[in-house]
Amino acid sequence: MENLCSLIETNYAAQTTEFVESGIFRALENGAANLTVYDKFIANICRTHLKSPQILAFLYAIAPPKAVENLRSNLLEELGLDTNESVSHPSLLIDLARSAGFDTESLKSLENAAQEELRHVICDPILFGTLKEIGLSILLETVSFEWMLSRTASRTARFLTTHRSLPPEHLQWFHHHSEVDIKHAAEGLAAIADYVEFYQFEPDEVETILDVTFRNNVFIKRYFREIEIGESSGARNQ
Amino acid sequence: MRIISGKIYALQIPFVEAFAHSTKNRRFSDSIVVRLTADDGTNGFGEGLAREYVTGETAETSLQYIKKCLFPLIEASAFAELDASPNALEALTPIDEILSAAANSSGEIIWNAARSAVELALIDCLLKRRRMSLAALLPPRRKQVVYSGVITAGTPEKALQHARHFKLFGINHLKIKIGDEQSVDRVAAIRKLLGASVSLRVDANGAYSAAEAIGVIKELAPFSIESIEQPLPRRPSSDDAFLKKHSTIPLMADESLVTLKDAENLCNSASFDFFNLRVSKCGGIFNTLKIAALAAKSGVRLQIGCQVGETAILSAVGRHLAAHFADIEFVEGSFGNLLLTEDISRDAVNFGYGGRAPILRGDGFGVEIREELLEKFAAATVSLGREKSINA
Repeated sequence: MENLCSLIETNYAAQTTEFVESGIFRALENGAANLTVYDKFIANICRTHLKSPQILAFLYAIAPPKAVENLRSNLLEELGLDTNESVSHPSLLIDLARSAGFDTESLKSLENAAQEELRHVICDPILFGTLKEIGLSILLETVSFEWMLSRTASRTARFLTTHRSLPPEHLQWFHHHSEVDIKHAAEGLAAIADYVEFYQFEPDEVETILDVTFRNNVFIKRYFREIEIGESSGARNQ
Repeated sequence: MRIISGKIYALQIPFVEAFAHSTKNRRFSDSIVVRLTADDGTNGFGEGLAREYVTGETAETSLQYIKKCLFPLIEASAFAELDASPNALEALTPIDEILSAAANSSGEIIWNAARSAVELALIDCLLKRRRMSLAALLPPRRKQVVYSGVITAGTPEKALQHARHFKLFGINHLKIKIGDEQSVDRVAAIRKLLGASVSLRVDANGAYSAAEAIGVIKELAPFSIESIEQPLPRRPSSDDAFLKKHSTIPLMADESLVTLKDAENLCNSASFDFFNLRVSKCGGIFNTLKIAALAAKSGVRLQIGCQVGETAILSAVGRHLAAHFADIEFVEGSFGNLLLTEDISRDAVNFGYGGRAPILRGDGFGVEIREELLEKFAAATVSLGREKSINA
């Protein structure tokens, strides 16, 4: 199981390196991208994560006994129900988009785009034979985002403050997923190990599902969609 | 119906990973998609993939042929509306007659990819005007279509990785690309991994001489291969008959089967056991149906194949044909987002677990094309008809 976690973490690390070393990320971080690119990037983050509570609820429903508590507290935190002062993560994303100047119509289209993502998850043909494999694939991808964000969210928040002039109080979503969330990422890896053990996967099955799930760099695919590399190196349009 | 305008999109959609066979290593789909707009505003979409080593066409020459030869013909024509019919060949004959007024070949070039793109767009448009599915012309004979997986040429390790994917996906029919030095090792490794229950075919894309082919066929004998596709290059040759006589593995014609004349010759010579029908290669639905009819008369078995990189349009047409033909041995295609980083339809058309995919029931070919994605992936576009004047 140790080998398995190491294999998964190596995969996450490689995906994260490719993501932060990509031309678009570098342009965003260096301030070389124009404002449209920052706004598309923000929109893509919202589109990716606005429906996270529903994805977590699915993972909670299929969680093995040892991972139930972790996934439950993750879900409650995502919904803003873990403490009386908490705010749901989708609300933090909406706050981020609003502070970047997204108007009511743009927010609505973000919500629709996120719903469309979920519709695809449900309607697209499924290549796996049972929920067991689907669950592992979704769990691997969900934890990959926790892992990547716990290592890059502070950098992202910094460049959004510096180059997109977003005040720190509207970057709370990044704060929640930054280095302070490294514990969640570690718990996520443990949840994967529990899932693999409980549902009795063979090691080569896990490797194949890992391989299939990460054939594309999921971070680049989701955060940089509709962003052309040319846009990021163009003159800034202030 | 009159066609008043249109647009040709020469696409470049990146692949998730490169796809290799003995003659080509592809990294993106180079589909040509044609959108035709009728006088009532209905849009129809068609697709073709130019393959120089098959029909002599390139994306650029196909684009010019559509613009200069096919579009002026259809712009000047009035098309009778389509009605549901159990005889698709009869229903589509008027379209064939109009398209056939253009020379279908120029020297070595056979304009089948171009013709496919335009013919499909016309049929899609006519079907959508009547709110009809292609299934009204090609009634399905089965409730679902079962697809094969295809394993690209490459190292045995890479081939095994792909085979593990297909095993996980429950795919029971696989085609393996051969033609390089590692071919037999690749097939042996895959057979060992998958066991005896999975059906294996091989495809050489014309890589061998007759003597080489006989040698490879002998080496492949222990691995229960269902068919070997296009072992020899496309050329009129007595080698096909010689190979048929000596092969212990059934032979499938692909690059050798492009035109109706090819089909007639191959049926007469009885040198192949299977025909691989690919809609773009054969020049559209009408020609594919004609070839299938010839094959049926001659007892030649059928595979519905695909070009590497087909988008949702050709995937959908292939699905309709595969569901319609009474006897179909193997089906390839509908890889969609498994191969393309992004397909052009609203809903995914790729097969699911076991290679299974449902019959498409929506209007036209049953896929909703997102024109914004055509714009996004277009390496070149050409506006046609009234649209050209508006753009000018």
